[in-house]
Amino acid sequence: MEPPNLYPVKLYVYDLSKGLARRLSPIMLGEGEGARHTSIVVHKDEFFFGSGGISSCPPGGTLLGPPDSVVDVGSTEVTEEIFLEYLSSLGESLFRGEAYNLFEHNCNTFSNEVAQFLTGRKIPSYITDLPSEVLSTPFGQALRPLLDSIQIQPPGGSSVGRPNGQS
Amino acid sequence: MSHAISRTSRMSQSGCPSGLSADKNISSSATQVIVKTAGNQKDFMVADDISVRQFKEMLLAHFQCQMDQLVLVFMGRLLKDHDTLSQRGIMDGHTIYLVIMSKHGSRSLAHSFQDLPMNDPCHWNRNTKGNSSGVHQPTGMNQAPVELAHFVGPDAPKVHTQNLEVSHPEHKAQMLENPSIQRLLSNMEFMRQFISEHLDTQQLMQQNPEVSHLLDNSEILWQTLELARNLAMIQEIIQIQQPSQNLEYPLNPQLYLGLETVPGGNNALGQNCADINDQMLNSMQYPFGGNPFTALLAGQVLEQVQPAPQHPATRVIYNSSGGLSSNTSVSDTPNKVNHTSKANTPAGIPALPSIELTQQLQEEYKDATVSLSSSRQILEGDLQLSDEQTSSHITGGMMQSLMNTPYLAAQIMLFMSMPQLSEQWRQQLPTFLQQTQISDLLIA
Repeated sequence: MEPPNLYPVKLYVYDLSKGLARRLSPIMLGEGEGARHTSIVVHKDEFFFGSGGISSCPPGGTLLGPPDSVVDVGSTEVTEEIFLEYLSSLGESLFRGEAYNLFEHNCNTFSNEVAQFLTGRKIPSYITDLPSEVLSTPFGQALRPLLDSIQIQPPGGSSVGRPNGQS
Repeated sequence: MSHAISRTSRMSQSGCPSGLSADKNISSSATQVIVKTAGNQKDFMVADDISVRQFKEMLLAHFQCQMDQLVLVFMGRLLKDHDTLSQRGIMDGHTIYLVIMSKHGSRSLAHSFQDLPMNDPCHWNRNTKGNSSGVHQPTGMNQAPVELAHFVGPDAPKVHTQNLEVSHPEHKAQMLENPSIQRLLSNMEFMRQFISEHLDTQQLMQQNPEVSHLLDNSEILWQTLELARNLAMIQEIIQIQQPSQNLEYPLNPQLYLGLETVPGGNNALGQNCADINDQMLNSMQYPFGGNPFTALLAGQVLEQVQPAPQHPATRVIYNSSGGLSSNTSVSDTPNKVNHTSKANTPAGIPALPSIELTQQLQEEYKDATVSLSSSRQILEGDLQLSDEQTSSHITGGMMQSLMNTPYLAAQIMLFMSMPQLSEQWRQQLPTFLQQTQISDLLIA
C-alpha cells in the first residue's frame, strides 16, 4: 500500500480594511479587527466564496494581493480531483453565489466548511465569530440592513464548478 | 458545522437498509455517525467494527451511485475499504464527509488517458485525429464511448446534486457544462462519427452534399461548432441591443471579432450569398494552405483574410448560427435524457453542434465561461418567450447558409482568433448596428 500523499492546507486571511477597522472598531464595534476575508489554499490554488459563487485563483492572485496572515490548517489526503468534485457540489447547493450573505454565509463560512472537509478542523474562531460580535453591538445592529446588502467578491478569480474547475 | 445537528426524519431510513447495523449485538457497540455530503447529511447507525466497505454498501442504498464513486473523508483522510471505522478513530457523533464522484472520473484538466473498452459501435478514424489541433488531445478518444454509453443509458447515475433532467435550459446548460460532456464533445472524431451515424444527419447529408463535407472534416466541424456557439452570443447581443439596449451582461470578446469586417455590409446582403461564399472560399484557401485551423488554434494572426466581399456573408453566418443555437434550446427543451442524441428534428443536427460549441468555448476560453453560460441561459430564457419567432425567421435560411458555407464558417473562426479586432469592433458596434438595421436583416 502506497503511503498516502498529504497536501498542506492553509488559510489565507485578508484584512479588508487594511488596518482602518482596527482603529475605528474599538470605538464603533467595541471589539475585533474589522472585516476579514479568508480563503483556503490547497493544491496550489486558492479557493474562496463570494457573491459570485465559489472562485479560485493562484494563491494570492486576487486583487487583494498577498494575504495579511496565513494560518496552517493542517494537511489532507483529499486529492485535487476529489476536492474539485466536492467544490462543484458545494457550489450547486450550499454555496451558490446568491446564497452569499455578509454576516451569515460569507467567505469565512465557506473557508470553515472546506477546512473541516479537508482536515476535520475548523478555522480559528476569531474569524468566524466576528459577525456575531459586530451584530451584538448597538451600532452593528443599526447598520445591519445596510451591511446585509454588501457583497464581497474579490476580483481575480475564476469560477469553480461544473463549467470547468480550476486546476 | 457542529456535530450537534438535528436529526432528520431520515433516521428511520438509515437503520433499515443495512443488515449490518443495529440489530445484531450492537447494544453498546453501536455508533452513530453523520455522513455529510455537499448539501445534506444523514445519520447512520453502524456497528463499531463495521468496515469501510460495508459502510459504503450501506451508503449505496441511499445515494444512487456505484461503489467506486463513493469517497469518504474523515479528518482529512481518505477512508480505505479495508479499514474499519473504529480504526480510523470514528466515534459516536463524528462526521464523515462523502463525495460522490462523477462517473467519468477525473475532473482535472490533466486529461488522464484511460484505456477504456470501446463499447461504442463507432469506428474511429484516428488518422484525421492527427490533423486536429493540439488542443484536442487524444484524451477523450477512449473515454468518449464510455461516456456516451453512460449518458445515453437511461440509468446513467449522476452526482446527486446534479440534475439530469434536460427539460429545463438551466439544467441543460448544467449538463453541458459537465466536464465529461466537454470531453465527449471535444473529441471531434467521436462527434463526427456520432453525427454521421445519426439518422437525421444522414438524411440531411443526402439532401445537401455540402453538409457531408462539413460534417466529415473534423476540423471544419469543430470550427463550425465554435462559430455557432459564438454566434449565439452575437445573436443575443443583437437581441439585447435591439429591444432593451441592455448591455449589462458580460460578452465574450471573441464575439466581436469578425463582425468588425462587416462595416456597411448591409447592402451586400441583397446579393447572392453563394457568390460571396465562393469568393471567400477561393480567397480563403490560398492563405491557409493545409490546415487553417491549426493556425487558428495556435492563435496566429490572420491578417490576410480580410477581403471585403466576405463581410455580408459573414453576418449571414452569424445570424444563421445564432439561429442554430436558438433552435437548439427550442428543440432541446422537450428532450429529456440526451439532448445530443435524441434530437429528432432536422434542427437536431445544428442543435448538436451548438451544444458542442458551448463545450468547446468553455474549454478554451475560461474567462468567458461565466459570461457564456449566463448569456446562454439568458438566451435560452429569451428564446423560451419567443421561440416561434426566433425559430421561424431566423432558423430557416440561416441553417442552410451555414451548412453551405463551411469555409465561411472557418473564416469566421479565424477572425475570432484575432483579439486585435475586438476593440475595433466594440467601438464600431453601436453605430454599426444602427446603420445596418440588423433586425430587419434577421427577419428577412
